[in-house]
Amino acid sequence: MVAARGHTLAAEEARFGWKLILPAVSIIGLLILYPIFYNIALSFFDVKLVGANTFIGLNNYREIIRDSTFWRAVLTTFIYVLATTVGTTLVGLGVALLMNQKFPLRGLVRGLILLPYVAPVIAVVFSWQFIFDPVNGPFMHLTHEVLHIFKQRFNLIGSPQNAVYVAITFNIWKNFPFTYLMILSKLQAINASYYEAADIDGATAWQKFHYITLPEIYFIMGAIVILRFIWNFNKFEEVYLLTENVKVLSVYTYFKAFTGAIEQGQGAAIALVQFVILIGFILYYVKRVLKW
Amino acid sequence: MVVRRKSILKSTGFALLVLLIVFFAVFPFVEMLSISLKHPFDWGNPSLIPRLLNLEAYKELLAIGQTEREVPESIKNLLDNPDLTSQQRKAILKKFQDTGDVFPFLRYFGNSFLLSFSAALLSLILATLGAYSFSRVRYRGRSAIQRGVLFVYMFGGILIVIPLYQMAVKSGLAATALGAFLSILIIYMVLTLPVSMYMLGNYFRTIPFSIEEAAMIDGCGRFATILRIIVPLSLPALITVFIYAFMIAWNEYLFASVFLKAFKNLYTLPLGLKELFGSKHLIWDRIMAGSMLTAVPVVIMFMLVQKNLTGGLTAGGVKE
Repeated sequence: MVAARGHTLAAEEARFGWKLILPAVSIIGLLILYPIFYNIALSFFDVKLVGANTFIGLNNYREIIRDSTFWRAVLTTFIYVLATTVGTTLVGLGVALLMNQKFPLRGLVRGLILLPYVAPVIAVVFSWQFIFDPVNGPFMHLTHEVLHIFKQRFNLIGSPQNAVYVAITFNIWKNFPFTYLMILSKLQAINASYYEAADIDGATAWQKFHYITLPEIYFIMGAIVILRFIWNFNKFEEVYLLTENVKVLSVYTYFKAFTGAIEQGQGAAIALVQFVILIGFILYYVKRVLKW
Repeated sequence: MVVRRKSILKSTGFALLVLLIVFFAVFPFVEMLSISLKHPFDWGNPSLIPRLLNLEAYKELLAIGQTEREVPESIKNLLDNPDLTSQQRKAILKKFQDTGDVFPFLRYFGNSFLLSFSAALLSLILATLGAYSFSRVRYRGRSAIQRGVLFVYMFGGILIVIPLYQMAVKSGLAATALGAFLSILIIYMVLTLPVSMYMLGNYFRTIPFSIEEAAMIDGCGRFATILRIIVPLSLPALITVFIYAFMIAWNEYLFASVFLKAFKNLYTLPLGLKELFGSKHLIWDRIMAGSMLTAVPVVIMFMLVQKNLTGGLTAGGVKE
């Protein structure tokens, strides 16, 4: 009798749980999971904005493989993702080590350096465009008139070859507060007696960093690298709004799917290829670096 | 003596490094503020302090004192034409004096606010129920759901924007202004839902279950317990999650540009600013003033919840 009542209570509890989560789960299913499968289907169709789509097998994939712009986008993406991931992680580490020391006005400084991460992308891209503006921008003033590094003023952000460096710097600037915060919270959790013991043994600063700090933050660094890799790989707005000259894969997909001769079938195919590359990398990374 | 000189050198180097980092982080904002207050002749001047203060850009964007705007000479001549009826005259004057069409900044601001506020509120309601469910109620599959929610971390917007747009086109939603607005509202809600649920779930677990039990013994139903016990006790977390969701929607560009492209009246701030300023570079003061006014609400909101939000950031990592 008791067992039976326990059973119905458990069933009632389960029903209550499902009732509460059903709205959230169904809307996530409908608007995130279903679209991912629908995207796979779309990549095999000639997608039209008006009228029915026609099945064309692997034609979309054949088209994009033959397109040299696609391969250039793959290369640009790898340069961008590699440089931004490494850059953000290292800058974040350096800043975290500095901010872990005590100094006057530390609270204010900690607050100020979060600004890039908090501000909306659209609100900061124009300022960056102005800084690299060939006519009025302070960057050209500094490098040409003051330091004489460049012989003349030129449009750094407007040329496809150079704009990628500005985009990388921008990404590092925007996202280093995130890595810095993650690393700092781990640094503050390290037991201070380790360092005291090392001091007694006469360890140098570098030795303390190498033998105490680094092993302690190894896993958080590993997690940061994978998160930053995933997010930088999928970045669209931070590239596209700053300069349309840097065609990483997501920007290329956007151009294919929503501008000019709209080819949403091909766009879906590129998005899927991008996703498969990402999953492949994650599996490799989790096995080799995080050793799970 | 040697030791002291070394330590002075060290602390100077340290201070310089800190200054360098602050400069790196803040310079674009200072430049933004500076240009927004400068007259065009001053733009090329690398000094950050304007030679002459220019508040016109802010006034124009916020539509302050724009009624007595100068009407061009040629239009004045046209207005003197006695053949015009007073109605026509008014229409012409209105066309030239109404800057709302040139810089509909306030409209974009309003659209963004309405959209972000409603999306964040809806997301908060669904997330509260969902998070309570998997953090408090016992049933099979709840941990699978909880982990599945984080799986969404791996998807960028670009992967689902094409299929979502196709769904909206095929269902007819993309064709009308109301349909497009509703689509974007639901999309913004779902974008923030997984992380909101995760953050709230973590918070709910810190509330002792015995408080809820006491309420239930006193005759509170389970749903009433959520409303009367959980919600008041988690107010700081709820506010943090609301602001997080608000910021995500306020900053979003990709989906807005796809769904709202055809409906100029519904443009959000990111979309509107990109359209207004994307191709023009001769109005830097307006561009920078617009940027400032877009950033300020978000920065203020962040300041309000900084402590909670940075805690949440480091605890789970907030999806971008």
